[in-house]
Amino acid sequence: MKDKVINLIAETLDVDKKKINEKTNLVKDLEVESLDLVDLVGAFEEEFGVEIADKDIKNLQTVGDIIKYAEEHEA
Amino acid sequence: MKPKIFIARGISSKELLDSVFDRYNIKDRTLKYGEYGKPYLASGDLFFNLSHCGDMVVCAVCNREVGVDIQRIDYRKNVINKVCSQEEAAEIRTPEDFTKMWVLKESFAKCDGRGLSYGLKNINTKNLKDSEVFQIGDFLVATCYNTR
Repeated sequence: MKDKVINLIAETLDVDKKKINEKTNLVKDLEVESLDLVDLVGAFEEEFGVEIADKDIKNLQTVGDIIKYAEEHEA
Repeated sequence: MKPKIFIARGISSKELLDSVFDRYNIKDRTLKYGEYGKPYLASGDLFFNLSHCGDMVVCAVCNREVGVDIQRIDYRKNVINKVCSQEEAAEIRTPEDFTKMWVLKESFAKCDGRGLSYGLKNINTKNLKDSEVFQIGDFLVATCYNTR
């Protein structure tokens, strides 16, 4: 799961996946802006078949948060 | 009043905000934050909102709640699926169409104060009042000062 999420983030945001780990902060480390974040959420939903509620988006601050969300909501 | 817009390149949001506060002679610059993180002046002397994209930063000021968004002209299919109704999606043909839709929705949600938590799909760009979009170079900027 961890590798799948990191690959998805690297591909969607066009970032070297070597720069991404569970502690990576999306805004501070990857300079993700709101458009990037929604792009990532859309890609995540398509990849994992899981819908992320709008109210939960602001809680996804680190790569670890996304991995945890994927694990908790995996079909 | 319509929002006044200040745009700069290569400075931080804080630097731009300080210069705007200087211009409006705001002495007490104590900031508070809404439930969803929107900053506001504790004194209520002025309403403002900030946005940045790349090295561009924009600040809108108004005598009522205001939202602003700046975005480089772009196209993201994942985002269309996530935030547009079918009717809206059908009308997006170019990167300019996409970016206009995005900045309008974002500025509305930021004016409201909930930002992305508002649910951008719930915002119909056809029904917006007191929203404006303009282009500066490769960027589109939208302001909104009425969420009714």
